[in-house]
Amino acid sequence: MAQPLVKKDDDRDEEADYSPFLGIEKGAVLQEARVFHDPQLDARRCSQVITKLLYLLNQGETLTKIEATEVFFAVTKLFQSKDIGLRRMVYLMIKELSPSADEVIIVTSSLMKDMNSRTDLFRANAIRVLCRITDGTLLAQIERYLKQAIVDKNPVVASAALVSGIHLLQTNPEIVRRWSNEVQEAVQSRAALVQFHALALLHQIRQNDRLAVNKLVASLTKGTVRSPLAQCLLIRYISQVIKESGDNSQAGERPFYDYLEGCLRHKAEVVIFEAARTITELSNVTTRELTPAITVLQLFLSSSKPVLRFAALRTLNKVAMTHPMAVTNCNIDMESLISDQNRSIATLAITTLLKTGNESSVDRLMKQITNFMSDIADEFKIVVVEAIRSLCLKFPLKYRSLMNFLSNILREEGGFEYKKAIVDSIVILIRDIPDAKESGLLHLCEFIEDCEFTYLSTQILHFLGNEGPKTSDPSKYIRYIYNRVILENATVRASAVSTLAKFGALVDSLKPRIFVLLRRCVFDNDDEVRDRATLYLNTLGDGSVAETDEDVKEFLFGSLDIPLTNMEASLKNYDPTEEPFDINSVPKEVKSQSVAEKKAPGKKPAASSTPAAAPTSAADAYERLLSSIPEFASFGKLFKSSTPVELTEAETEYSVNVVKHIYDSHVVFQYNCTNTIPEQLLENVTVIVDASDAEEFSEVGTKPLRSLPYDTPGQTFVAFEKPEGVPAVGKFSNVLRFTVKEVDPSTGESEDDGVEDEYQLEDFEVVAADYILKVGVSNFKNAWESLGPDGERIDEYGLGPRESLAEAVNTVINLLGMQPCEGTEVVPSNSRSHTCLLSGIYIGNVKVLVRLSFGIDGAKEVAMKLAVRSEDENVSEAIHEIVASGQRRQNDQLRMIFLEHTRISRELEARKNELDDPEKQLMERGASTENNRLKLKYEKKKHDRAVLNKKKAKKASRLAERYKREKEDLRRKIIQLKVKLDDKPLLEMELIYLRGQTEIVKFTGNYVDVDKLYALLRELHEKEVELYDLEALNHALIVKNAKAMMKYKKLRRN
Amino acid sequence: MELSLVGLQNAGKTSLVNAIATGGYSEDMIPTVGFNMRKVTKGNVTIKLWDLGGQRRFRSMWERYCRGVSAILYVVDAADRDSIPISRSELHDLLKKPSLVGIPLLVLGNKIDKSEALSQQALVDQLELNSVTDREVCCYMISCKESVNIDAVINWLIKHSKSAK
Repeated sequence: MAQPLVKKDDDRDEEADYSPFLGIEKGAVLQEARVFHDPQLDARRCSQVITKLLYLLNQGETLTKIEATEVFFAVTKLFQSKDIGLRRMVYLMIKELSPSADEVIIVTSSLMKDMNSRTDLFRANAIRVLCRITDGTLLAQIERYLKQAIVDKNPVVASAALVSGIHLLQTNPEIVRRWSNEVQEAVQSRAALVQFHALALLHQIRQNDRLAVNKLVASLTKGTVRSPLAQCLLIRYISQVIKESGDNSQAGERPFYDYLEGCLRHKAEVVIFEAARTITELSNVTTRELTPAITVLQLFLSSSKPVLRFAALRTLNKVAMTHPMAVTNCNIDMESLISDQNRSIATLAITTLLKTGNESSVDRLMKQITNFMSDIADEFKIVVVEAIRSLCLKFPLKYRSLMNFLSNILREEGGFEYKKAIVDSIVILIRDIPDAKESGLLHLCEFIEDCEFTYLSTQILHFLGNEGPKTSDPSKYIRYIYNRVILENATVRASAVSTLAKFGALVDSLKPRIFVLLRRCVFDNDDEVRDRATLYLNTLGDGSVAETDEDVKEFLFGSLDIPLTNMEASLKNYDPTEEPFDINSVPKEVKSQSVAEKKAPGKKPAASSTPAAAPTSAADAYERLLSSIPEFASFGKLFKSSTPVELTEAETEYSVNVVKHIYDSHVVFQYNCTNTIPEQLLENVTVIVDASDAEEFSEVGTKPLRSLPYDTPGQTFVAFEKPEGVPAVGKFSNVLRFTVKEVDPSTGESEDDGVEDEYQLEDFEVVAADYILKVGVSNFKNAWESLGPDGERIDEYGLGPRESLAEAVNTVINLLGMQPCEGTEVVPSNSRSHTCLLSGIYIGNVKVLVRLSFGIDGAKEVAMKLAVRSEDENVSEAIHEIVASGQRRQNDQLRMIFLEHTRISRELEARKNELDDPEKQLMERGASTENNRLKLKYEKKKHDRAVLNKKKAKKASRLAERYKREKEDLRRKIIQLKVKLDDKPLLEMELIYLRGQTEIVKFTGNYVDVDKLYALLRELHEKEVELYDLEALNHALIVKNAKAMMKYKKLRRN
Repeated sequence: MELSLVGLQNAGKTSLVNAIATGGYSEDMIPTVGFNMRKVTKGNVTIKLWDLGGQRRFRSMWERYCRGVSAILYVVDAADRDSIPISRSELHDLLKKPSLVGIPLLVLGNKIDKSEALSQQALVDQLELNSVTDREVCCYMISCKESVNIDAVINWLIKHSKSAK
């Protein structure tokens, strides 16, 4: 294809921008395609026709089935020509047409011939086409040739085979996996492209085996990869490996870091960049690791290639978010890039500088940005605005100049997204920086005087209504708001009326005047505006200067504590009858999408086809199901249904999960059972629940499942009574009991008599979180303040050492089972402290808000301050109790482990004494010391003689030095061993774990797997031996050290 | 000149191409998946040979490669008596295609080296060649293995290439 195109390019120079294909038509080209049938083929002409056809296809033209078939068979006739250029076009055309499988097979034989042709180009292209059209059976036939091609001398052929392998891996993985050896050989190829493709294929073959990837990467870092592209690929795989292994190798040297750093000195820029980027993206990267990467990126900043400048800047921009200090070195280079011709680079430079800049440079930067703003596109401006917002939050003292900047750009021309970004920024600044409130509100007021976006106007009016009344002089905003009622469209007018009413309700002195304005609104020509005005006039009192009733305020302006989507769904379901709509019937549970998604691809594939319907109806469905069972109908309103808890492992004979339904004074466990054995029919399925570990619960009834055929889920229920309104917790163990009947899978008929059987299920617990509904609030701060400090309880907790802050936060959230608000469940990496806001409804319909403040210190000890506010202080206490008991339970577990640990170490101690092995070793050591002593004696004699020779002093000191060195060595060894001994607790933990496993195996008598038991015992024994050896060696070394020390001292005395 | 070589699978089409082109013979051949294109020069005549696969899935496509050729060579395994009826119906289906009217047909009974092979007369009868009247039809008995009558085939072809021009 390159040939004709190159020629076209030459033409283009003469004919300016005129495409040779302009205006060609499908019909005409198809006519032209008749040349394919000419007895005397004109290869050049045919190539041109194919080019035209390809052009048409790429322009989106489609051929009908008949046309495509005609063209395809005509093209196949071109195999008679030996013209290389034409053959190439034929390959392309076949690939592009890719006709149906029963037709395309006609070219197989020709392609196979070409695949073994002596012309490299034929070989390479035939492989690509053949692999594209082939199916599994044919692939097995040609596999041999493909394997050969992978190690072909010609790099084009090898690459073609490798790339085909990558494609085929999707459809025929088992065949491609067999090529590993050849691919491995190709990785060593000298040709850059072959190496690149081979590495990609090799990685893809192994990608599901983490260990193999690890090995692959480790072996390739030893330096056989020369191709820059392959090296980039390798770096990416390394970063993947590091990410996957990152969590468990925290302390030691980061694996592969040296290799990455080495890549920073590579010849190819692309490799340098890839390595630098990977280093910056390492989790918990230290400054020392970061510095070399930043240095090369800095060099790139002054490169002549725009793409390098852009790439480096973009990376630095990302780094600036987490390590602003590391990037400050590049500030000078970046400042010069603000005037870069490429606007993308300039914008990135600005935003990066804003992130790294310090307080003093802000003003200067702002000046530069002002000059620059007018000539960039909106989307860049949005980026700048967002950067300024975060800058302002960083340096609150600078709010004046930043706010000025924002208000200036707000006045200028701009699209909706841009204006929205500015308004959002101002709103955030007002919320977070109290000093900025007055000026910010005035800027917004000015903006809505001339705002073409209804959405923004209503947003600002709403915000004004919330914030305006709390300012020192609320009256000055009234003019702006009332102007809206006069000038704007109905939507804005309506929200202006609401805002006015808010002022009236909150500022008593303004009330009479507001009433005058509202009365005027009653004559508006829009229904909604009139309705609102009338509502407010009637509810806010009589227009005198009097405090508005608290209830009225709450009714009009209080936040709706029901998720809007649920409200919408309920209203849609509401059937306009006699009965009024009851807002309490709206479910308050926040349905997180993830839960629904997790459930969707579950047992039945059919469920996933209707995922949209599932999330809204899950709770409703439970409620309907339960109320249809007469035994449970009397329990009252369902408070909460938990997500299903699996009670069996995946892939077992029967799969069972449980849903906990919580009522005021009852709990119902719904066991969802699925029978996965086609040859069985289960009847009278019940779950026998042992609640001996749950004292407050008493069983009141069960509802067995009559029959459970293969692969059809069914439910059985068990109900418990518990003290009303009390969050009783406990542990339940379960046994599935049923009658098995054999079924003939072919006929589906079951035998008449069955056998009683039982099946052990796992235990589950009812925990405190089951009594809390996840209910979000829209504005946490308002909700928090409205609850007041009366029901507040604050306490502090030490959570002990944790893996990370995020892990600690998640643990507490899960423990409480409450809804995180305002995205505070996400912990930025590397932060030392975090505040998390939670809300929920406690059993008995009590609203609870929780503010968690976490802090982590260098030793990963996490401390937590827990502040709870609720309408009922007992509930606040209860929340604390949940956290405290959760912690207690953990402590108990720790204590148990500790006790076990001491017991085992005592045992170990006893056994150690029995061992004579170390003693023997010690004897040997002793003997060698004896030897040393003899040597010493001899040396001493020599030394004495030397004294006589007046070199005494010198030699003695040298000797002493040597001993000192030896001693030093010994000590170092001891330290090393001590470190190893520190691993002892680890080993012991492992021992405990192994012992535990043995115990388990022993107890579950029915299932004793003798082999497994022996394997465990053997492992246990090995670990013990390892431990003894370690201790023995340590002891021996200590002794040796002591002896050497003594000798050294003696020598010194001499 | 251009020729199409058709017939049921394992009749010996690809072997015939080899015999015409090089005179060689090989026992182990793989089935042709699709078609092979060979150019052979005999004397001063260049022959383009479309050697088509004989399996059922290719038979519907024979017609496309027979259009406009100088002659159709139909190869039959004369020793495989069971397949003769299928061979006959496929041949007559092919000849019924309007696009192929008047194209000369050369029927070749292959594998006469085997003892159970049919005689020429029996083959003509069983294939009902006498019912084909709208074109020139000829029938030879050949053996690719022992190069029997291959020369006669080549001569027939050369003769037709001259008459075609």
